[in-house]
Amino acid sequence: MGVFRRAWLTVASEFSWRMPGRPQRLLAAFSLAERGSMMDMLAAVEATTRRDMRRKYFVHALDEGRHAKIFADRVRDFGQAGRADAALEDSGQLLQAGIVGGQTLFERFGEEKFLAFVYVAEADAVEQFNVYLERGLPDDATQATLRTILKDEVFHVAYSRAEVEKLRKEGRAVDKMCRDLRLARVWERYLRFSRDVGSFMSGIWLTILYFVVLAPFRLLARTEPGGWQPAATPGVDRLAAARAEG
Amino acid sequence: MPTYVLGVSALYHDAAVALLCDGVVVAAVQEERFSRLKHDASLPVRSAKWCLDRAGITAAQVDWLVFYEKPLRKFERILTNAVATFPRSYGAFPRQMRAWLGDKLWLRGNLCAAFGVRPERVLFSEHHLSHAASAFYCSPHDEAAILCLDGVGEWATTSLWRGRGSEIEPVAEVRWPHSLGLYYSAITAHLGFAVNEGEFKVMGMAAYGVPRFRAEMDPLLHLEPGGGFSIDMDKFSWHWHASEAGGAKLQAILGPSRFPGTPFTPTAAPHDGSPSEIEECQRYADIAATAQDQIEDAVLHLARHAKAAVGGDAICLAGGVALNSVANHRLAAEGPFADVWVQPAAGDAGGALGAALWVWHSVLGNPRGPALRRADIGRDTPIARSREILEDLGGRPEDVGDSAPERAAEDLAAGRVIGWMNGRCEWGPRALGHRSILADPRQAATRDLVNQRIKYREPFRPFAPSVLAEAADQYFDIPAAASAPVRFMLSTAPVRDAARGQLGAVTHVDGSARVQVVDADSSPDYHRLISRFGELTGVPVVLNTSFNLKGEPVVSTPVDAMASFTRSGLDVLYVDGLRVERPR
Repeated sequence: MGVFRRAWLTVASEFSWRMPGRPQRLLAAFSLAERGSMMDMLAAVEATTRRDMRRKYFVHALDEGRHAKIFADRVRDFGQAGRADAALEDSGQLLQAGIVGGQTLFERFGEEKFLAFVYVAEADAVEQFNVYLERGLPDDATQATLRTILKDEVFHVAYSRAEVEKLRKEGRAVDKMCRDLRLARVWERYLRFSRDVGSFMSGIWLTILYFVVLAPFRLLARTEPGGWQPAATPGVDRLAAARAEG
Repeated sequence: MPTYVLGVSALYHDAAVALLCDGVVVAAVQEERFSRLKHDASLPVRSAKWCLDRAGITAAQVDWLVFYEKPLRKFERILTNAVATFPRSYGAFPRQMRAWLGDKLWLRGNLCAAFGVRPERVLFSEHHLSHAASAFYCSPHDEAAILCLDGVGEWATTSLWRGRGSEIEPVAEVRWPHSLGLYYSAITAHLGFAVNEGEFKVMGMAAYGVPRFRAEMDPLLHLEPGGGFSIDMDKFSWHWHASEAGGAKLQAILGPSRFPGTPFTPTAAPHDGSPSEIEECQRYADIAATAQDQIEDAVLHLARHAKAAVGGDAICLAGGVALNSVANHRLAAEGPFADVWVQPAAGDAGGALGAALWVWHSVLGNPRGPALRRADIGRDTPIARSREILEDLGGRPEDVGDSAPERAAEDLAAGRVIGWMNGRCEWGPRALGHRSILADPRQAATRDLVNQRIKYREPFRPFAPSVLAEAADQYFDIPAAASAPVRFMLSTAPVRDAARGQLGAVTHVDGSARVQVVDADSSPDYHRLISRFGELTGVPVVLNTSFNLKGEPVVSTPVDAMASFTRSGLDVLYVDGLRVERPR
């Protein structure tokens, strides 16, 4: 484990687990991430042409689905049933968090890079969980949850590492692939952070715009009355009308 | 050269694609069946690719791509509304503008880039026109009144149309912010369910209550003497709030809203709650019952106006509110029309089909085709691939071939709960015997088993029965006007008194059921299955619920089916002619 990453995980774990209300949020985020991971693994089952890998991806997907449920149950233990349900059921949350959307990981990477990604991501998760456990965070029940899940994650690391090693024997530059993927994961986190900052800044500017530009028009605006209103009659040239966006 | 029209609905909820070849539906699918994100709203690129592959064409061969609404008109409404609700809409405005300026305003370009179609080939329908077209052109009627009821399109929230031959002409509309759909959604949110997802749960919950809040809630939704309706917008916030539809004023009238995820334990439901919890739940059930009663009255009120304004014997319904099967039943039983038609994908997904049909018939001037009699126009999987997938995933499939319906019936009669995947996916939210979980309907305990151990959903939610067409009248009191909606499971019907003891798992607490009537022409395999079950048990009815787990879209492929099968308490899985039994 890199020194920098370990230091970061240590600091982040203190912040994540010790702030009031944060454990529930973090566990819900884990649940969401596991659910997204299940979807990616199932997409890999659909897309792979390697029949020997299908079963492994499938078992992995089922594990991730189970983990999502376990984390959500822990969130529920904190009295946050709504947050737990949202993590398990609300697809919008997966999109909002950038966990899914657009291409699946398999579509994006292809089989070899996907396997390397699985290895890198699972190894990172194991490191992360180990730091939490070493530091005794956040409480006994959550630690028991993490230990249960860690067993599966160790298996995921093992099978994906074995596949990555096979690729290495075939002469693929797997170290570079894994390094690039680690950098890509950091870059994506940065992009997500930048998007959040951009969203916050645009929110400020749009709010200013709202109060400065829209305010005078308020005098002219009216709300539509209820009840039936006459509908606009369509024009004669329907094709021309259909071309218009407004 | 045949003419291909690709209809697209997206960017609100339930994105979908429908492909027509010379006016005939080649395929219609929702993006959620590919992305596995329930109600996925993103541009349905995967769905489109699948439809084009099925037709054996490329995007370059698509003659017209039609989007189901006018984006700029919608943007106009959003801006006008932001001004009209100033300064309360300060929170919603930045959020809406980010979505529009970032993506939705540049729709023509985005559609061309995503689907590979030239800009001059991209057309735009109108939201409610797409709904109206989806209902009328799919119906068997040459003349009909068309009533569209949903949350909101560009400006219209409710619209009335006259359909005649290939023509659809607008008659009148109710405009934003007065919306039946959003009213029901506000109540849905108040009752602790997710908007655009929990409306069906409110409908199920309503049966446990009595509409005792009419005095409080009627002023909120006012039925006008002119045949329309209005909403007391002072009590709601969907027109200005970023995320809330109801708010403090609604809570002042209805009491505190239900916290999401709270167990629902009314007096009539299986419960272990304390007396105060039961009382609180009963209050929620009564609110649901009142809102449901109001919506039913509103639909009848609007339909009577439609009869007066348009005339005719038939009415075609579309829009999300048209998925309210209890309201559809009352319209069929008490309404002024001899026939009610509802398109299976009455919600926004159906707009893709409607937009495409509108271009074919109204813009290009082609005559009407046959009515839509089957809903299985979605995705399928070749049997060889299904076998390979099931084998690879450790399913050890038994090839039962053409006898799958009979074998499945025997499993059901033996008390097993089965996952049934047969042919192409259904179009619309209902599973109609192609992607269904099936069980024996006779024992009430089966309902609890399927709710708790298989679908992991709330115990108060009812299950639907599928009945043979020839036996439907023996078990259910179906109004003649509802003969079409019951084919697509879009209307409830009272279970006959004599049959209630035989249909414990599918008779809701109020004695009704959201029945599907199955005929041999449109669903031959499913008809055989139910027939055989009837021979074995004397009851030609099966419990039918969509083949999905809580929070997930209905299964689409063998992989989805195996994933749901493995994670649930299903006993047996059928994928076309392949049978997989759970290892003991």
